[in-house]
Amino acid sequence: MIVRNSMIRHGRRAVAAPASQSCLRSLSSSTPRPAAPWQTGPATAVAEPPAELASAPTQTSAHSQSFALAQAAARKAGLAAIPSNHAEYERQRSLTRPLGSRVTSRYHPDQDLVNPPHDVTLEMLMAAQSHMGHHVGQWNPANQRYIYGERAGIHIISLETTAAHLRRAARVVEEVAYHGGLILFVGTRKGQMPAVVRAAELAGGCHLYQKWVPGGITNRDVILANGRLKVVDERDRELPGFEAHLRDCRPVVPDLVVCLNPVENYPLLHECGLAGIPTIGVIDTDADPTWVTYQIPANDDSLRCITLIAGMLGRAGERGQARRLADANDGICTWETPREIATFIRREAKERAREKEAALQEAAEQGLLDDKPLTREQFLSDEELLSEMTDPPIAPNPSSPEA
Amino acid sequence: MMPSSRRGLTSAVRGVCKALDGTASRRPPSLEQQLRSLRLSSPALAPVPGSRRCLSTESSDPAGSRQQPPPQLAITAAAPVNLASLASRPRLAEHARVLPASASYFSRTPVFNEHFLEVYKLSRTYANLPVIPSADAERVAWKTLFDLRQTLGEPVKATEYAQCLKLVKRLHLIHPDLKPPAVTDALRYFKRDVQGFLNAPKPIAIDKFGRALGVGRRKASVAHAWVVEGDGQVLINGKTLADYFGRVHDRESAVWALHATDRIDKYNVWARVTGGGTTGQAEALKLAVAKALMAHEPALKPALRRAGCITRDPRRVERKKHGRVKARKMPTWVKR
Repeated sequence: MIVRNSMIRHGRRAVAAPASQSCLRSLSSSTPRPAAPWQTGPATAVAEPPAELASAPTQTSAHSQSFALAQAAARKAGLAAIPSNHAEYERQRSLTRPLGSRVTSRYHPDQDLVNPPHDVTLEMLMAAQSHMGHHVGQWNPANQRYIYGERAGIHIISLETTAAHLRRAARVVEEVAYHGGLILFVGTRKGQMPAVVRAAELAGGCHLYQKWVPGGITNRDVILANGRLKVVDERDRELPGFEAHLRDCRPVVPDLVVCLNPVENYPLLHECGLAGIPTIGVIDTDADPTWVTYQIPANDDSLRCITLIAGMLGRAGERGQARRLADANDGICTWETPREIATFIRREAKERAREKEAALQEAAEQGLLDDKPLTREQFLSDEELLSEMTDPPIAPNPSSPEA
Repeated sequence: MMPSSRRGLTSAVRGVCKALDGTASRRPPSLEQQLRSLRLSSPALAPVPGSRRCLSTESSDPAGSRQQPPPQLAITAAAPVNLASLASRPRLAEHARVLPASASYFSRTPVFNEHFLEVYKLSRTYANLPVIPSADAERVAWKTLFDLRQTLGEPVKATEYAQCLKLVKRLHLIHPDLKPPAVTDALRYFKRDVQGFLNAPKPIAIDKFGRALGVGRRKASVAHAWVVEGDGQVLINGKTLADYFGRVHDRESAVWALHATDRIDKYNVWARVTGGGTTGQAEALKLAVAKALMAHEPALKPALRRAGCITRDPRRVERKKHGRVKARKMPTWVKR
């Protein structure tokens, strides 16, 4: 006979921890479990499962379940304590941070990325290993004028030359940014992504840290057909009303390309040469300096050197953009509106004027034009009109049905 | 006739003014006098002879305005400003240039790169926030590479996707109480639209008659079993167990859940089975009965799991392939 009732059945499911199975078993049936059929003898239609299948869990599950529950609760408590522990850790950290001695002259290579310098010193270039060229056998003799000497089998790049060329390149970047040019920073080697993105962010340009798609300039109508563009004014505010132009215009090309690894970017530099786009490149002792317009002789295999150079060029671009925006605020626009946009603006204005004239003419023909001046009542609100009227009140008409 | 409300009154007055403007020559004199007394300024009403209404500049020197200049010094005033021609050429902007909307404009995957850089920056910014074990984090179905390519329409590379998802999963493990909203927003983009992990099975309820309905499937069979406390009767499609299943093995399978837990004499089963053959129907019943039994006694789940009663067998008939006789059988080899 089954003595369980619905209270026990549903109550057990409601509470978090189920009652032990031995307890349930005693509740579930008052009759003792019959002996296995293969022990008693009579053949039945169905086979009895092995006895331990049902009985084994009842022995251990109560302990294991409570243990698992306790474990889960402890885990949950540990997770819940994480935020308070973290707050305490932060508090302790802020308390102990000012303690101890202050080390002033430490070399922080990561600062070249976070806070790039506006100008480089020879020490900074040396610390970034900009002077280390390639094995002497791999040199490109066109780089002879940049090479200081030879040491331990490698060429040493002259850091004075590097600094001078880097400053010249920085000035180029700054002026291009000042005149509203689009600067593209390219560094496609592994690990150059942060430096490239940071420089582009500072200089307000574009970045490329993946493979250059061949034809991005010479076949840009196909390659960059889906790229999103915007039209901005002299203060870099986005202008509405140019949707038709953006739909029809060609993809843009950069006005200056800064290539941090020219050796791997032959297609890009070739296209830039064909399109007449000036380029700045980091030229190691094995690179061909004629591929780029402005050479920066330095070690292009060192990420620190690349970060330093890209950071300084980014800072230069930042200065140029800041000067340009300051001039724009003073009413000076440092760039010319491109011919295509100027044509579009003119055509659009002409079109609008024609529409307006047509509308005026149509209104005149229909007699809708009203040259009479507006009366004062048309500008008065209802309250003002009524208050003017109440001064000499209108006598109510006695014939009105409401009166 | 008097207007019934204020609104009606004002509209009536406006209507009167308009009518006076339009038909200034034939206005009724009585109405004109009345509205003049209201001191309204309609041009039809304003000029009262004798009391000139002047602008303040004119009124400052009333005597000079009456002087007549000599004829040789008469002023020829300039033509009026043509307002239409002034307004005819509204230019969109004085200066305008086209710029890329995204800094990743020149890459193959500009939109993906933007999202990747956002995630990258967030992972750098919040690298020191405490994380929870991945087992305790909310399970999320992230967009697969295929999903991402479909939604973006960009040829995202598998390595870049893997790199990005690594950062996304790391950000996801930040403790939920400390996770910044920027991280939540950035990760939302990488979640699939349909989150399968949020699906939870509906618990089987026991109705007012004490029945629990379990549904089981196997091969092409579907079984609905109503399990109720009783004395061990089984009815399948109106027949007893022995009548319905000729094979002993199938009879065993159908009520294996009750046998495995030693409940064969404590419950009655009324079942409806459709589709498939005898084996499929018997094993569909096994699953259905086990599910319904678990509704009565949830604590039996481990025993039923060990007895293999609550696992859906997903195997189906394997499709036939071309070039083969059946799913896998090759045609007989014929020499030439």
